[in-house]
Amino acid sequence: MARAAAILRALGVAFRRDQKSFESIAGNNFFLITALLVGPAGGFIFLIIGLVMLFPLSTDPLRKIPASRLALWPLEKRDYWVLRIASPWVNPVSWLVVALAVWAARGKVTLGLWGLAAGLFAGAFLLSDLHVFSTESLWRLAPNFPGPLNQLIRKNIREMLSTLDFYCALILSICVLVYRLLGPPLPGEAFLAVTVLVVLALSSYAQCLFGLDGDGGLGRYRLLPLRGWQILAAKDAAYLMLTIPLTLPVAPLAGAGAALTALALGHGPTVRLRRDQTRWRFSTGASLVFGLIQAVAMAMAASAIYFTSSLVLLLCIAVWLGSLWHFGREIDRAEVE
Amino acid sequence: MISCRNLTRRFGEFTAVDRLSFEVPAGAICAFLGPNGAGKSTTVKMLTGLLAPSSGEVEVCGLNVQSDPLELKRRIGVLPEDLGLFDDLTVEEHLLLTGSVYGVNRQETRSRTDQLLHALSLEHGRNTFARSCSHGMRKKTAFAMALLHNPRVLFLDEPFEAIDPVTSRIMRDLLESIARHGVTVFLTSHILSVVEQIATELIMIRKGRIVWNSPTGELPQSLEQHYFDLVEAPVVEELEWLGPPRS
Repeated sequence: MARAAAILRALGVAFRRDQKSFESIAGNNFFLITALLVGPAGGFIFLIIGLVMLFPLSTDPLRKIPASRLALWPLEKRDYWVLRIASPWVNPVSWLVVALAVWAARGKVTLGLWGLAAGLFAGAFLLSDLHVFSTESLWRLAPNFPGPLNQLIRKNIREMLSTLDFYCALILSICVLVYRLLGPPLPGEAFLAVTVLVVLALSSYAQCLFGLDGDGGLGRYRLLPLRGWQILAAKDAAYLMLTIPLTLPVAPLAGAGAALTALALGHGPTVRLRRDQTRWRFSTGASLVFGLIQAVAMAMAASAIYFTSSLVLLLCIAVWLGSLWHFGREIDRAEVE
Repeated sequence: MISCRNLTRRFGEFTAVDRLSFEVPAGAICAFLGPNGAGKSTTVKMLTGLLAPSSGEVEVCGLNVQSDPLELKRRIGVLPEDLGLFDDLTVEEHLLLTGSVYGVNRQETRSRTDQLLHALSLEHGRNTFARSCSHGMRKKTAFAMALLHNPRVLFLDEPFEAIDPVTSRIMRDLLESIARHGVTVFLTSHILSVVEQIATELIMIRKGRIVWNSPTGELPQSLEQHYFDLVEAPVVEELEWLGPPRS
């Protein structure tokens, strides 16, 4: 028991020092703008965030300990059980999820509901422990594309699929699809609002496109005989290929315009700030102000396309191309220290 | 093939590389030696166009590194210090990526990929993602990437570290064969026994300055002894808490 307690204490210290789970929410457009604009009515959105954060790869504290290290420590079976049961509560995210569940279920809590929640929670950690959830086989399904950037685009798709932003947008998109199939008809404004919300969930990622490449990755990019704009284009292609399909249940043209606007503005912090990101976390954007500007621009582009003319999409494409060229040149001039 | 004059790089007040001047001819295997922090990797980064010099000039393959970086990249192969692999690509996908961005046709890329994976005993791991590879496999992948497009100059930052003896021997033989075809190899390493066997030129640096530059044949003593004399002598301290020796 003393050994397990010592490990739990160390995990607690590690979690206090590593506040990336919370920081990533705090710097994420989707969370910030939902909190600012939707306010008390945003319970559903917050629950989606909570649900996504329950993702085993994001939440399990035992994954902080290298598997080889855990295997080398002289632990008894009982110690492993204690660690398995107690470690989730070292992570503040677990407490946040529980608090969200209590808040969302206030006044209508039944024993069965709590049982279901506890079962889901335990199931998520059990899956994590059994290593049933293997992403590698899924990653191999990334399709091939014509042209020399094929492997780069495939890599970028895999990177984007390992952020929580994508799954947040995916759940939103699925919810809307189910509602459209089974619920009463939605007004036009609702289509637009949900489209912007879906792209908003992915907009912070557009500000840190190199975040999962690491320093080694950036060095390799600079060694390849590619222009900066080509490197950025491979990033953008992956982004658009994952974002636009998510807007298909709502307003895809408006979604494409919003996504291109998010990228055009996101290239700046992507190239200049190069903020490292962590897998299975929400992406952290440049700043609240920049996030707001990006969100407003996306909403304007989407509504102009939706309410005025689809030709506005051409303007979005032109702005995106200009940004690609400009920030591509900055990549060409960048140094790798 | 590689030529630099008064190459200097400063980081604020600190001078990492201080007025290096040397030339490496075509077909040579030049070992660039020095202790950790001596400025080896900084020099390699300047030679490969990753880092701009604070002053001085560099030419590789007759090209000015600063004014023609894209053409330079097409002609060189690099094994960088941090290997520069992408976690989300498999070993094979890294090589296919290299072939397509360097303009090698698909069939030829496939053929070279198969040959390199076979030569470097990487066939079993061809579908392994880089993040799941051992350090040795990652290094071999980065080495294969550096070779695949048949570069004219090869820059290798610590290629033999963390490599098993058989692969180390294969890599040595490959490098010697490549050099015989006129390719210039510029490598850094801490494994002096390997360097002594393959290098034709030696450059030693200490605190950013060259302390020795000659063909290997002109060494006055063993490479290890010469290195200790010129660069850094080892100081071994007893750990008292280990207790008395047991025979």
